[in-house]
Amino acid sequence: MEVKTEELLKIYDKEVLNVKELVFKSGLITAIVGPNGSGKSTLLNIIAATLKKDGGRVYYDGSLTVPLQKMTIVFQKPFLIDASVYMNIAYPLKIRKIPKEEIKDRVEKIARDLNIEDLLNKNAHHLSGGEKAKVSLARALIFKPELLLLDEPCASLDPYIITEIEKILLKINKEEKTTIILITHDLSEAKRIADEILLLNKGKVVALKKRDDFFNSDDETVRRFINGELLI
Amino acid sequence: MDIILEGIKEAFKLIFTLDSEVFEVVLLSLQVSFTALFIASVIAIPLGIIIAKNDFPFKNLVMRLIYTFMGMPPVLCGLFVYILFMRRGPFGFLSLNYTKEIMIIAQTLLITPIMIGLIINESIKCQNEVFSLAKTLGADKWQSFKLLLFEVRRGILMAIVTGFSRAISEVGAVMVVGGNIKGKTRVMTTYISELKGMGDFERAIATGIILLLIAFMVNSLLYHFQRIKSYGS
Ligand SMILES: Nc1ncnc2c1ncn2[C@@H]1O[C@H](COP(=O)(O)OP(=O)(O)OP(=O)(O)O)[C@@H](O)[C@H]1O
Ligand SMILES: [Mg+2]
Repeated sequence: MEVKTEELLKIYDKEVLNVKELVFKSGLITAIVGPNGSGKSTLLNIIAATLKKDGGRVYYDGSLTVPLQKMTIVFQKPFLIDASVYMNIAYPLKIRKIPKEEIKDRVEKIARDLNIEDLLNKNAHHLSGGEKAKVSLARALIFKPELLLLDEPCASLDPYIITEIEKILLKINKEEKTTIILITHDLSEAKRIADEILLLNKGKVVALKKRDDFFNSDDETVRRFINGELLI
Repeated sequence: MDIILEGIKEAFKLIFTLDSEVFEVVLLSLQVSFTALFIASVIAIPLGIIIAKNDFPFKNLVMRLIYTFMGMPPVLCGLFVYILFMRRGPFGFLSLNYTKEIMIIAQTLLITPIMIGLIINESIKCQNEVFSLAKTLGADKWQSFKLLLFEVRRGILMAIVTGFSRAISEVGAVMVVGGNIKGKTRVMTTYISELKGMGDFERAIATGIILLLIAFMVNSLLYHFQRIKSYGS
């Protein structure tokens, strides 16, 4: 699913997002990077339609209608329902009226992929931060959305599971043609999985480039960011 | 001390001999309070969630009024209902005063604000997260509402338990509107108060014990039900 935004604007007490035009190409993985408070989550939540914008438009495959059934977001702070992990992961399938047997198979499969089989019968509120992150990712992946928005999915996970998750993201991106937009603080992660990289700073776009072009860019701000220097 | 022991002995005697006077009182108490609880739940559960979720003019005022009514003394509630339904009152033509029905009305009015207030508080805690989660997973309005109901089920149960405890244990409202008429509007609490007046402490304690036992059983039942619901998938 292609996502195009025009003139997006978000204002709290001051302007926190102001971007002219962005295109997230269909079937690609785009990583959003930038310093804390640069508006990454704001942008992603506006695309997910979970945050009201103060101006501008978002087109999903050219249409202004939000295709809520075909897209999803995994929040920076995962919210799980007060029920078993199984029920949490099964929920998107349940509301889509998928037969019980199939739900069971799919939940078990995704749980195996993410290495959370042992958690299925636990109450989701009793999980550690990393476990919660994995469960909310499983819940998002299970209904095979065409557009997957991830707000720092790997922030609280250990290196082994990050590799696993990156593999899964690459796999669904390849096999299901899922368009993925993910926020990350880890440039090496962006390098490993992203086709394109969007750098935000103070609510504005610094660059949206193909991965290699991004890392070879001679733009001053991009270079500073890659070198871990403070952006002005 | 003797009086208490005697009371306990008497209580078990009354329970096991199925004392008809006591049973009549117990049955009426249960009937009145459960009916009030049922009506209050039907009103308070959806209304609490709707008030919590929606913004409307004077919402703050409405919330403050609800919180105020949560602490309303039962006797005042009874008085209010009595005046509404006395012969010269606006609903006097129904001639409901001193009936079972008016006691149900009074207890419903007493516990509905309490339950609404508790449910509002529960819902506010997580409604934004639940609704935005439901939306991002593709749920429609009704499915989102059901998900919220599920998420706050413990809070709803607490509200139900609190409502029932408050209804079954209050004496002021039922006394004022019902009048403690034997065989007609006499319930456990008004009976206890009457027995105390007559100096029949054994029976008073006995009835009190039955009241507590019933409250204990109802609460245990509800908690049990709750446990099953939260772990089953
Ligand atoms: N509800 C809010 N009220 C006021 N300001 C807000 C609110 N939410 C976000 N902001 C501000 O908007 C700016 C952008 O926030 P945002 O969460 O998009 O940043 P971010 O790039 O995701 O940062 P991080 O890397 O820390 O997650 C920040 O300055 C933040 O303080
Ligand atoms: Mg963020």
